[in-house]
Amino acid sequence: MITVRHLSKKFGETCVLKDVNAEINKGEVISIIGPSGTGKSTFLRCLNLLERPSSGEILINGVSLLSPETDIHLLRRKMGMVFQSFNLFSHLMVVENLMLGPVQLLKLSRQEAYDRSMKLLETVGLTARAYAFPGELSGGQKQRVAIARALAMEPEIILFDEPTSALDPTMVSEVLAVIRKLKEQGLTMMIVTHEMDFARDVSTRIFYMDEGIIFEDGPPEQIFEHPKREKTRAFIHKISLFRFTAESKTLDIYRFNAELEDFCIRHLLNRKQIHNLQLLCEEVLVNLLFPLTEKVELSIGCTDDNRETEITFEYAGQTGNPLENPKPDQELSCKIVQHLAPECNFSTEAGSSRLRFVLKDNNSKVSS
Amino acid sequence: MKIEKDRKGQELTLTLSGRLDTTTAPTLEQELQQSWNDISTLILELKELDYISSAGLRVILTAQKHMLKQGSMKLRNLSDNVREVFEMTGFADIMTIE
Repeated sequence: MITVRHLSKKFGETCVLKDVNAEINKGEVISIIGPSGTGKSTFLRCLNLLERPSSGEILINGVSLLSPETDIHLLRRKMGMVFQSFNLFSHLMVVENLMLGPVQLLKLSRQEAYDRSMKLLETVGLTARAYAFPGELSGGQKQRVAIARALAMEPEIILFDEPTSALDPTMVSEVLAVIRKLKEQGLTMMIVTHEMDFARDVSTRIFYMDEGIIFEDGPPEQIFEHPKREKTRAFIHKISLFRFTAESKTLDIYRFNAELEDFCIRHLLNRKQIHNLQLLCEEVLVNLLFPLTEKVELSIGCTDDNRETEITFEYAGQTGNPLENPKPDQELSCKIVQHLAPECNFSTEAGSSRLRFVLKDNNSKVSS
Repeated sequence: MKIEKDRKGQELTLTLSGRLDTTTAPTLEQELQQSWNDISTLILELKELDYISSAGLRVILTAQKHMLKQGSMKLRNLSDNVREVFEMTGFADIMTIE
């Protein structure tokens, strides 16, 4: 239905979208998630040319959106858009907001447009507010009207740009309920959202966007339960990451400890936790890994919810687990590491090895 | 790490403070090698030592082996962090800790 190839978008010198590639099929509900500023909304706005891409290709049912010969208005009609800030005409009544597009663009008679609008207002539960002005509605009601207005054009796909971000928490559920209902009707939708539970529940596919690309694309159970990429995992689990490249020849353990301590203090880890982290890192890096490799990428993740601290060491080469069959001079280090972090996972993939630990006794915060 | 020396006859007390890690362990090792030849008792005062890694443990183990040939070695006033590392590695069982 929609094919996106090598899409990029620059604003001046800032490259928001680097190389977006995607295939969107009829009937899919795709949620686009990711940190702020990673181009989610820009991507959506490029799809209906509210932003003109800097390069790349967008094909709608095989027709290039960016080709000069294409009737953009006709293609745009196939795509409804629901904005964060509703964008209703404040001087028109609710039903008139819905009728405007069908009358002016689809050339429906006013009666036909009215009948269709009333039916759509029923779908979003707002028949009783048909003659109200937008200013008389709550945020949730305004957004439901905006959805009905998008539907009035009978689009093939609706693009939702953070449809609940501007709403009070009490009104979020009514808007999400309408979107769920549309899914049941088989409507194709793309939704930029920060509502993770909703995205997980309603979507057939998730795009995790980061660094100006679709960083990971997969069904909700993959993205939320078994993300393949570290950054996706960190985002899903709200993990704050500390990263450090440790090289055996140049490692300054004072600098490392100072940076790690700074990170830990910012995330309210207590002195004991900081001590244990530093000890584990020193033992693993200096005594277990530097005999095998010169360079180790270290990342420490700290979840917001259960205060679990996870430490990952990645390095080139497919060695065995350094904690198994240690040399005599490594036995002390192994004992320390296994005591501090009994949960250890070793894996190798594509020529590199990964050693991951979860630090135990890590459930207390510094009292403020 | 800071090392303070106090010699009383055949007894040498080294008071360690700070961190005994992969960077500072060689300093302690050097200090011990310079001082341990003509003593019969070596006391390591560890109240102010708040970090020890395996690099430090190895130096202490070497000192213990050396001192057992000519006298004795004692460790005093271990901080909680250091005591825990001694316990998890089994060092608490083979050292004289006061």
